[in-house]
Amino acid sequence: MTKKKERLFDRTLLRLVQEARPIRWWLALSVLLCGVIIACAVAGPELLGGLVDRLYAWDGQPGLGKSLEPGLLVLLGIYVAQGLVTYGNQYLLNNVVSRFFTWRLRIRISDKLQRVPISYLDKTPAGEIIDRLSEDVGTMGMTIHGIIEILFTGFLQIAIITLFMFLSDWRLALAVVAFMPLSLLLSARLATKSEKYWNDMFNIGGDLYAMAEENVTNFSAMKAFNLEAHINERMAQINQKHNDVRQKGDFLGSIVQPVITFTNALCYIVIALLGGWLVLQKLLPVGTVVTVILFARQFSTPLERIAGGLSQLQQAKAAARRVFDLLDLDEEAPLSGSVPRPVTGEIRFEDVNFRYVKENPLIQNLSIHVKPGQNVAIVGPTGAGKTTIVNLLMRFYDVDSGRITIDGQDVSVCSRDDTRSLFGMVLQDTWLFEGSVAENVAYGKPDATREQIQAACRHAYCDRFIRTLPQGYDTKISEDSTNISSGQKQLLTIARALLADRRLLILDEATSNVDTRTEILIQKAMDRLMKDRTCFIIAHRLSTIVDADLILVLRDGRIVEQGTHKALLAQKGFYYELYQSQYAI
Amino acid sequence: MKKLLRFLLPYKKQIALATLFMLISVVCNLTLPTIMSRILDQGVYGSAGSYAQIVRSCLWMLALAGLSLGAVLAGYYFATRITAFFTRDLRNAMFQKINEMSFEQVGKLGTAALVTRMTHDAGTLAWAAGLLCGSIVIIPLMFLGGTLLCMQKDFYLSLIMLATVPLVLGLVLILSKKLASLWEISDKYFDVQNGLMRERIRGIRVIRAFSREPREHERIYAAITEMTGHMIRANVTMELIAPIATVLMNLAVLGIVRFGAVRLERGAGLSAGDIFAVIQYVSIVLSSLISAMWAIIMLPHARVAARRISEITETETTPEACDESVQFSGEITLEHVSFRYEGADAAALEDISLHIPAGSRVAVIGGTGSGKSTLVSLLLAFRRPTEGTVRFDGVDAAEYSGSTIRRNVSCALQRPMLYAGTIADNIRMGDLSASDAQVAEAAEIAQLSGLISRREKGLGHVLTPSGGNISGGQKQRVSIARAIVKQAPIYIFDDSFSALDFLTEKALRTALNERIRGRTQLIISQRVTTAMRSDRIFVLDQGRLVGAGTHRELLESCPIYREIYASQTGGGAA
Repeated sequence: MTKKKERLFDRTLLRLVQEARPIRWWLALSVLLCGVIIACAVAGPELLGGLVDRLYAWDGQPGLGKSLEPGLLVLLGIYVAQGLVTYGNQYLLNNVVSRFFTWRLRIRISDKLQRVPISYLDKTPAGEIIDRLSEDVGTMGMTIHGIIEILFTGFLQIAIITLFMFLSDWRLALAVVAFMPLSLLLSARLATKSEKYWNDMFNIGGDLYAMAEENVTNFSAMKAFNLEAHINERMAQINQKHNDVRQKGDFLGSIVQPVITFTNALCYIVIALLGGWLVLQKLLPVGTVVTVILFARQFSTPLERIAGGLSQLQQAKAAARRVFDLLDLDEEAPLSGSVPRPVTGEIRFEDVNFRYVKENPLIQNLSIHVKPGQNVAIVGPTGAGKTTIVNLLMRFYDVDSGRITIDGQDVSVCSRDDTRSLFGMVLQDTWLFEGSVAENVAYGKPDATREQIQAACRHAYCDRFIRTLPQGYDTKISEDSTNISSGQKQLLTIARALLADRRLLILDEATSNVDTRTEILIQKAMDRLMKDRTCFIIAHRLSTIVDADLILVLRDGRIVEQGTHKALLAQKGFYYELYQSQYAI
Repeated sequence: MKKLLRFLLPYKKQIALATLFMLISVVCNLTLPTIMSRILDQGVYGSAGSYAQIVRSCLWMLALAGLSLGAVLAGYYFATRITAFFTRDLRNAMFQKINEMSFEQVGKLGTAALVTRMTHDAGTLAWAAGLLCGSIVIIPLMFLGGTLLCMQKDFYLSLIMLATVPLVLGLVLILSKKLASLWEISDKYFDVQNGLMRERIRGIRVIRAFSREPREHERIYAAITEMTGHMIRANVTMELIAPIATVLMNLAVLGIVRFGAVRLERGAGLSAGDIFAVIQYVSIVLSSLISAMWAIIMLPHARVAARRISEITETETTPEACDESVQFSGEITLEHVSFRYEGADAAALEDISLHIPAGSRVAVIGGTGSGKSTLVSLLLAFRRPTEGTVRFDGVDAAEYSGSTIRRNVSCALQRPMLYAGTIADNIRMGDLSASDAQVAEAAEIAQLSGLISRREKGLGHVLTPSGGNISGGQKQRVSIARAIVKQAPIYIFDDSFSALDFLTEKALRTALNERIRGRTQLIISQRVTTAMRSDRIFVLDQGRLVGAGTHRELLESCPIYREIYASQTGGGAA
């Protein structure tokens, strides 16, 4: 939470104005419409006042009602015009401004996510991003078109009324205008104060969202340890914080209007006192005082609206700041190079260094040479950096120094999509989206026919169980599906990789959720999958990698041993120790 | 909707105070125009030389305005307090209720729905409550006050004003129906949008691996477009109301002037000042009417949120009392236990009978879908068997509450579920009274010292929600440490070592066996090597118990076990 002083006019506001550039002509039109509305708003009471004056001045002659009719008709026209233009302006503001800021910002957030580095998504809770997409943009959408209308009409109205007042009597007008800065200053102060609380509220709201999500996903852990009361307490604490800032923000926001009403009453009193005195001194005709009083009364509405608009503006800014922070994230630089096709699959790591966080070097001076078609297994204790190698190969993360080449081409100048399109990948963490089984399997090859999909599933040994599902291949599944087990989910991701049919293959604990008997069955399919392809296999179960052409033994980000299974066992080093340990628990 | 009103009950006094203060300010606001016109009458249209009267009236006005300001500030103070407290209580009640629910209930509602209700829906309701708090008192008062004052001036003229009210209300009712359906659709797509985004962030690696970001973007694009379209149509519909109502009321004003002139001519005891006053009251009534319309229109929106929230708060749950006096020895017996998930065709577990003596080390081994995790659910009383009996020390588990059983069973779950907070906080969740030394010891046994020593803050290293900033193996070890720090006669490790390499697993298991010696230890695994040194191994296959015995016995007698063993060791190198 920022400690810096909140200001009304700051970079966020400037940014909002800049963002609105593409719709500036529509906004200009809206200003025009606002002008018409104001003209009606000023003319209406003027005419009505004139008619009422005639009631006061009635001398008892008949035909009073009839004589009013032309005026009433004009008024009717003005009222209807005002209604139509008001609606037209709202229609415009909603369809242009509101759509621009909500629809377009949401699309831009979604679009932005295509290019932010994975490192950002790895360290940011999903709830936090969703909160910005839905709640923050929602707040902007709800407030922004109102603000524009309120500020436009408000200031216009004030300007026109001020002008008319000065035309009536400069002394009284001056007295009224003297009060205006007081009202505006007061409401601006209150608004900026409330912004601090709105900021806090949005931030804590993000925490609340993340915690609610965490709590529901960790439901069984909470039950297992009888932690209901403890978790309730945690939630209640953050809820209380949210409550505190919300109340303060709400209160400050809501008192703006009454404060304005009060200063306005003061203004009224001053006119009455000053005007009354001037009239008594015969310095001013009575009618002028009436006119100024009527104008002064019209002052209160735009002032209240401006004050309300300012406090909404603070809310919108607090939300906008979080949205712009997301939109301004550094993006992955677009690259256009590509690895020449056909690809043979020779991969080199040359003196690669990498760290996730500054103070913890992970991969150090790593050099690997993989010949085309080789099956390379990467083994090593937890935290040795095995998955990091996948992150670098797939270019989810960029190397700090050194380089990775495919067929001699340095990949760091190639487009990421190009590099990734060479790889098939199966991860321990299975991911299925909400859609049919067939759609999920065809994810890597969207144009696959049903026959191809079924063939891939047969090879991955999931055809049988898919057929037992209620709608077979068209059964809807998702991440949270309970109708298929985690092992079955993994089989589907294997089928997905089989169908994608890429030159290079990464299997990161690809069969960890599959039981070993099924694994033997899949192994044949895997063997076919791996044949003639360059493969990287990460596995805890060393039995699954004994046939690898090359085993790299990783420890603390360095390769400590490499060779075939036989050679490494004969070496009686770290690998031997690892291998033996599986039978010694 | 009504059911949620009970959350306002504790604030009866504050509501009364808020109402009182609002009332004072309304009365002041209704009186102000009268004084204003008196000043006009006295000072301007009235006789000259009454400057003292003007001053007196001005002082009156000052006093009234001041009183009104004070009252309104106090009123808003209480109103915003009530709104904030109402929201807080509602959220807390939801949190508590969800935490009390059974697994079936949570499963039925779904993660996404629960989260939306706790956050977005509660927010909507808070906003509606804020709106109501400010207006529920003021609106009717302004309306009634304005109407009465108007009638007092001239009954017939006030009829003209009142004639517009049913027109306006009818319009609002028609539009609010249309709005409700528009909002319902936009709310639905709101959920879709969030669901897609959650899915996308979770699957980012697979999506990027297959370069399918454009497709994911398109899917969200479609949902956002659907949602925005309906929302804007709803807004535009809503914006119809104020201009139409204003025009109607202004027509009434015109009518009043015209008809007022007629009454004036007929000499109905009416003055021009009265007509002027009536026109003023019309604007008061109009503004109260428009505010009332907002409230009416927001109602369907709030009602949807309220309905969704009360689905949670009104769910029947039975809080489980934990009987601290029940102390298990660690003996577990299953007698012909079967379990079938609701709506499933096949039983997840079928006719399982087994005996685990107190203090023994047993393993359950089996492949995917063999029913291992269901067995754990039954032992933790997450779910109860559909047939047969689970017994602890010979006593039917049905006689104990779930939390009583879980007090006696410590479990590292298959999916390590971590919370935002320090590593120490997460471990301490196993036993909230554990000392720092005990936490450190558990971390040591779980082989976390390596991880901890590499972090600057050690055990105080702060995890992001769900432990997003550490690896899968590290999460698993924190989860194991949490199970270790809890003192219980029974320990279950549900596939807890799967993400650990063998060296780490070996070191961990050695330290663990030392630590919980004499307690019942149940290891659920797919790995034979993890299971083979147990006192007794149970082999599950497709929900049935197909073998029980020691490693040697099973190699002799159980073909499935032999098959698993062969598949994992490449044929028997040991």
